[in-house]
Amino acid sequence: MSRSTTAIPFRVNTARAVCDASLRQAMDYSTRTFSAKRAEGTAQVPLEEWRERASAIRMQVLDNLADYVDRFSANATRAGAVVHRAKDAQIARDTVAAILKDRGIKMVVKAKSMVTEEIHLNKRLEEIGIEPVETDLGEYIVQIAGETPSHILAPAIHKSRKDIGRLFADKLGIEYTDDPEVLTKVARRVLREKFLAAKAGITGANFAIADTGSLVIFTNEGNGRMVTTLPRLHVAVLSVEKVIPSLADLSTFVRLLPRSASGQILSSYLSVITGTRKQGETTGAREIHIVLVDNGRSEIVKGEFREILKCIRCSACMNVCPVYKVIGGHAYGCTYPGPMGIVLTAVLEGMERAHPLQDATTFCGACVEVCPVKVPLSKLLRRLRERRAEQRLTPLVERLAMFGFGTVTQSPALFGLGQRMSWSVWPLLKDFSRSKLFVRLPRPARKTFKRSMS
Amino acid sequence: MTSDAVIQRFMEMAVKAAAKAVRVNSAARLNEALPSIIQLGDKAGPRIFCPRSTEKEKAVIIPEDLFTTDYFDADVCIEEVSGAIAETGSIICTSHGGKAVQAGLLPSHHVAIVPQDRIFETLDDYFESCREAPPTNITLETGPSRTADIELTLTVGVHGPERLSIIVF
Repeated sequence: MSRSTTAIPFRVNTARAVCDASLRQAMDYSTRTFSAKRAEGTAQVPLEEWRERASAIRMQVLDNLADYVDRFSANATRAGAVVHRAKDAQIARDTVAAILKDRGIKMVVKAKSMVTEEIHLNKRLEEIGIEPVETDLGEYIVQIAGETPSHILAPAIHKSRKDIGRLFADKLGIEYTDDPEVLTKVARRVLREKFLAAKAGITGANFAIADTGSLVIFTNEGNGRMVTTLPRLHVAVLSVEKVIPSLADLSTFVRLLPRSASGQILSSYLSVITGTRKQGETTGAREIHIVLVDNGRSEIVKGEFREILKCIRCSACMNVCPVYKVIGGHAYGCTYPGPMGIVLTAVLEGMERAHPLQDATTFCGACVEVCPVKVPLSKLLRRLRERRAEQRLTPLVERLAMFGFGTVTQSPALFGLGQRMSWSVWPLLKDFSRSKLFVRLPRPARKTFKRSMS
Repeated sequence: MTSDAVIQRFMEMAVKAAAKAVRVNSAARLNEALPSIIQLGDKAGPRIFCPRSTEKEKAVIIPEDLFTTDYFDADVCIEEVSGAIAETGSIICTSHGGKAVQAGLLPSHHVAIVPQDRIFETLDDYFESCREAPPTNITLETGPSRTADIELTLTVGVHGPERLSIIVF
């Protein structure tokens, strides 16, 4: 696990984000659109029944994670893939780098994969002179802009069409246009050349099937199919909890994932890849390497935050989160933003680093309602707050204030005294405190409601 | 034998996913339908790839000057696919029998002949049928290639085909 003790500067990031009018507009529009599409896509179906089933399957896997991962590895190996186990991010990066370097690869096409962001794979590849080319349009945009994704499904959602037009004019030498259709065609042409030239492709996987050793990849653009069928070498990087028992279980997730993400009945392309190209076949990579990234998960699955590993990365929780909707993904300063991201970052990167993100919760419960696999996000987020207090990671002033509040509310006498005094003390607090808090808040009533009634 | 209701449902769902769908009952009808589907008669005719390996593919009449054996070079791919799923309106393309699944991906227009006796009612029906020994590559294709990565504006034909036409035969 990559443990850093520097806390994420979440308050600074947030202050910057809320001042960015165009970002707020983009986030508002996109999260509203995704939420509306999700609501529409899930309205006419037995959603609750599917969620129950999906949740049960995910729990079944987590209860026996090591066994399922072993079964997947054995079956993937039987189908012709080479399976690597990476205990942490560094081993995962080094494994992928070595596979590509040993084969003299200079450029590699990538389909979208959050776990490669988690392990910071691109940076490592660039260090050893391998050019990683992101092929999902949104990822490609943020890559040539030198940024990171702000939304796990629509990575460039924070950019306007004008931003993208200027970026393409600048980086690709085309004439400026802000027509999405033209810009998309430009990306198609540029990336088609890369697909045809690439000797290797890197993907993640949405699911991995234990019974058959298959990788399951959803895309709308078709880049996942390009990456897995054109180059002779395919490297799949996935975290261990992506395993589900059998192909028979896949239907439930096929029904839930695209609907929860974008309201689609099904993404344009769903690929199920079982091993390498066999004798007499003309589809598929000749060499497949599967890098199973643990990065702390075999410990997380034993702990009290284990249920976060049920997550299938649909992004529905982000799109309904009142905090995410305003600040966007970048402010979280980590790979996974939004409600699921707060929990996952805390367990992946440690509390010292991730605790400021806990301020990004309102406990409204909207995320819990939309989660297709019933991750109890409110419960996990509340438990994180408790843990932050236990570990004394909250600011000293807050701890003192909480201690004071706790002491007073436990004593009826002190509480009553406080109530009676608050009206008279308030102006003093206003004068002596530099905090704007007392200016903004109304002066307490002279008499409490209860006393004026009696 | 797939019931008419299931075929009907499949075609409706495919159209909902922005594919075009027609049903024919003979090779002659198939060839009658094709010119308007691939818009023959344009000034420069499109380059058409067809594997010509199944009976139905062999029945497809393609003007020889437009025919190509190289799908990398083609504008249109006409092929018989493995089947379809009514629930989602998807066509099933697999590597079974030496098929190149990427042939339907690279050209900008994919014309898929769906064998009418291979239309599964639900996703479960299909995955149950292949759960023991799946082909190396299964691709469910649902409508054309699309993206909404620029301001959520839906654009078709990013990396894969701009158009998906389905002929149930």
